[in-house]
Amino acid sequence: MKKLILLAALISVPVLAQDTTHPCNMGLSADDYTRPDPIEFQLVLENGLIAYVAESGYVPLVTLSAFIRAGRVSDEKQGAAEVLEDAFKNIGPSGMGPDTFRQVLSAMTAELTVAMHDEWTELSLNVPTENLDEALPLFVRLVRNPTIVAENIERAARGAASEAADLGGESGAVLYEGSMNTAVDHFYDIIYDGHPFGDRPTTEDFEALTVADVTRFLEQYVVPGNVTLAVAGDLNVDDINNRLANLFSDWSGSDIPDVKRMPAAEPNAATMHHLVSNKLQSWLVVGHDLPPISMQEQAAFDVMNYIIGDYHMNTRLMRNTRYKYGWTNDASSFAEDRWYGPGGYTFRSYSRPEVIEDIYDNIMEQLMLTRDEPVSDQEMFVAKGAITAGHFQVRYLDGYAMTRSFALERLHYGNHERSASYVERVNAVTKKDVQASAQKYIRPEHMQVVLLGEEAFDID
Amino acid sequence: MRKTRSLRGKEHGATISTGPIGGSMRTKKTLAILAVIFFSLSANAQRYDLPILEHVFDNGLRLLVIERPDDHRVVSKIFTDMGALHETPGEYGAAHFLEHLMFKGTPTLGSRDWEREKVIHDRIREAEAALIEELNRARNDMRERGVFHDHQHSETTPRVEELRTLIESLNAQAQELAEEGPMKLWYQAYGGTGLTATTEQEYMKFDLDLPVDRVELFLRVEADRMENSIFRNFDAERMILIEQRYGDLNRPETEFREAMNSLVGRVSMVYVPEGYMNDFDQYTRRYERVMLETYFVPNNTTLVFIGGVTLEDMIPKVEKYFGHMRRAPEPRRYQSREPLPSGEKRLNWRSDTLSPRVEVRYQIPGVGHPDRPAFDVLGEAFEGYLQSEVNKAGVGGKVDINTRIVHTSRFGVPASINVELIVSDAGQLDDAERVLLTGIARLREVPLLAADLALAKKKLRSDWYRTANDPSNLAFEIGHFEVMDSWRALVPYLEARDAATVADLQRLAARYFIANNRSIGVVMPEETP
Repeated sequence: MKKLILLAALISVPVLAQDTTHPCNMGLSADDYTRPDPIEFQLVLENGLIAYVAESGYVPLVTLSAFIRAGRVSDEKQGAAEVLEDAFKNIGPSGMGPDTFRQVLSAMTAELTVAMHDEWTELSLNVPTENLDEALPLFVRLVRNPTIVAENIERAARGAASEAADLGGESGAVLYEGSMNTAVDHFYDIIYDGHPFGDRPTTEDFEALTVADVTRFLEQYVVPGNVTLAVAGDLNVDDINNRLANLFSDWSGSDIPDVKRMPAAEPNAATMHHLVSNKLQSWLVVGHDLPPISMQEQAAFDVMNYIIGDYHMNTRLMRNTRYKYGWTNDASSFAEDRWYGPGGYTFRSYSRPEVIEDIYDNIMEQLMLTRDEPVSDQEMFVAKGAITAGHFQVRYLDGYAMTRSFALERLHYGNHERSASYVERVNAVTKKDVQASAQKYIRPEHMQVVLLGEEAFDID
Repeated sequence: MRKTRSLRGKEHGATISTGPIGGSMRTKKTLAILAVIFFSLSANAQRYDLPILEHVFDNGLRLLVIERPDDHRVVSKIFTDMGALHETPGEYGAAHFLEHLMFKGTPTLGSRDWEREKVIHDRIREAEAALIEELNRARNDMRERGVFHDHQHSETTPRVEELRTLIESLNAQAQELAEEGPMKLWYQAYGGTGLTATTEQEYMKFDLDLPVDRVELFLRVEADRMENSIFRNFDAERMILIEQRYGDLNRPETEFREAMNSLVGRVSMVYVPEGYMNDFDQYTRRYERVMLETYFVPNNTTLVFIGGVTLEDMIPKVEKYFGHMRRAPEPRRYQSREPLPSGEKRLNWRSDTLSPRVEVRYQIPGVGHPDRPAFDVLGEAFEGYLQSEVNKAGVGGKVDINTRIVHTSRFGVPASINVELIVSDAGQLDDAERVLLTGIARLREVPLLAADLALAKKKLRSDWYRTANDPSNLAFEIGHFEVMDSWRALVPYLEARDAATVADLQRLAARYFIANNRSIGVVMPEETP
């Protein structure tokens, strides 16, 4: 009887056991991903305008984007770029007043975003497919002929003044949401002190600015060869291509403006910059300028940067601050390169004030280790896999992401060579390359340390 | 890369699976249910075509798939029907903490020598049991008796200190044998992105987006996490929750919002934040283990995949990793029931760091109640109307209508609709309150314009399309509806919003926007008497 009970018990036990094979031994296949071919999605008009168009998505929406190789530092007369940004956002195309523009967008339930960076600008209009007939010509008119009026200058001036007033870290008035931004802004104020990237228009600049100045800026930079387009969503590619050709056929303009290359940043000796703030946490930004990275060095830099501190992942910075010690919710690196001049390379964290110095010490220790010693095989394996099968693929995840990536790459580099060979280049990176990249791009002697918190500490 | 693809309007054929879900599951006959849901009979339905395929394993595990055969990647999520609703007072945030602990690895992920490490964890568990015993013994000495947290007979005892030191020492030994961050590492290595986890009032979920041919990695890790999580570095991770709480408290509006939440609800855990400072110190391994073992069972779990996989392919894969799990006793569901609204409540909040404002809240039903979808429409349509009333009255400020509590805007239980007006001048607070209450009262009497209603509905549709356009967001909505009510309720919910009429909104206003169901909060300057 006992045997029968035992047998019954055995039968009732699930046959399967839990499969806990280690991921490395699961036989996961090599990834066979191939980046889409940009030429398949490319439309080149006679006037030099290039668009990338893709039918994509499972919902009745279309996104229209324009990328302009001009930004806040491109204007000859300070403030012209900021005013143009305001015109794109708030006034709308010529022949349509701002109230009508807003009403039209609202009736379409459209989302218009305008983001002006230092060197380039992005306009994007997302609309339901049912409004595409109306939205496409509106968008084209907005890109080509935005209304520029004195009101734009006044509003841009007010915006600049209020932005300057917000950078009040010393006052202790910063909030949690703004604290890291305040520290980062302060970091860039330091590394761009006296550099064109640090120039911001003043009230006097706006007072001296005229509508004609802004119009000249528009006419100089918003020209076919200096703009790329991305159109993606619930659409017919041939139809969109025809429409774009018609809407832009009579668009000509001045020659493509020369690229405005910026000088290198003047390196500073390592310094602590303390912004007093009596909050429950302190915020830390450590870093220096980042020179433009060549195509030959990009892959090694990306692998090195991933190993150190890709955002909120299992990296050296996270392991040695959060995972081991519970000091902070996040410690990550930020490589913010620019197209034609120096960017910034920073390492950021935040925490209760009593451990912020420990976090700083451990960040610096990890940076030095990356310079001084080869990274491990496992780190190389993880970083390469994450970049080639993760980050890189996501750039082309759907029609919108893909056309946007292509449009930006074309505008920046004039071709698609970088993305074509990127996976191959990453896979070829060696540990020696990573160490060399760290030695070149991590410069302890130039680290600017911005601490927003209660008490400064000695960075020696 | 897919060049032309649209599933809108496509017809879907039903497929019925026969036979057990893989030969190795228990010997019931056809326990697999494969359902293809049709949402194609009305014009509205076509707007929200969601070809969700379902398979329920005989251990209760639910698998939901949207097949997108041309996609190279797949969004993968695992939802557990548990969250803050299942916490007990004094240990608020324990569910969120469990999510953090579930990143610490398992015996097979994150250990350099599990045999040795296990011995140490056993000793930590014994030490914690002794610590709980000592804290209980000394509870009268250590109880906080002051309103301002200023008096205990004793802060600690020698035995408490001894045990805490022992646990710290044992933890350090265990850490020597552990690898940090094991649950993320291999996801990263094999191309995983969007790697997050979230715990809210009604759910915990883990997310990943990865190449299709590596989807088994998700199943292998998540099944292991569900069954074998080791709570490594428990006390250090506790500090991360404190860090996150500090982050919340650095926002001046946090404490006001929490006070408003507790004003609106009396017993519902929807209104409780993710832990007060005192709670973080109370969490124990024992309690977290009970939560894990109680709720992380197959019949309380839903897997959602959207991307280049098929249901047919996923069934044996899921079974390979989850098939051995037994159906467990049904976890106890949330039982508390908010008392009926029975009086207007008011909060006067004095602050010089928070902008002056008036907030009016009404309790509204949860998802699953027929009235709930129209509240989305009402909020969208009514915001513009109220803003114009505020402008006409000369009150400078911006109106915002939302249904957010803590981080979530929809619940399967009653919550609230919040009408907020932040004013630039505290001297206008009385006017602001009057305008809001008058405007809300008018909604019961004067119908909204049909054009405003139509625009509000179109706005909600566009917002939904923007959500659904991102497969990760879409997978979240499907899983969220499953824990709130049922994934089958998602499309009818969206359709009900489209069907809402002016009369419906008036009826809702008349029923819910009554004084006895109202909570008013006013943020005024410190010196206000």
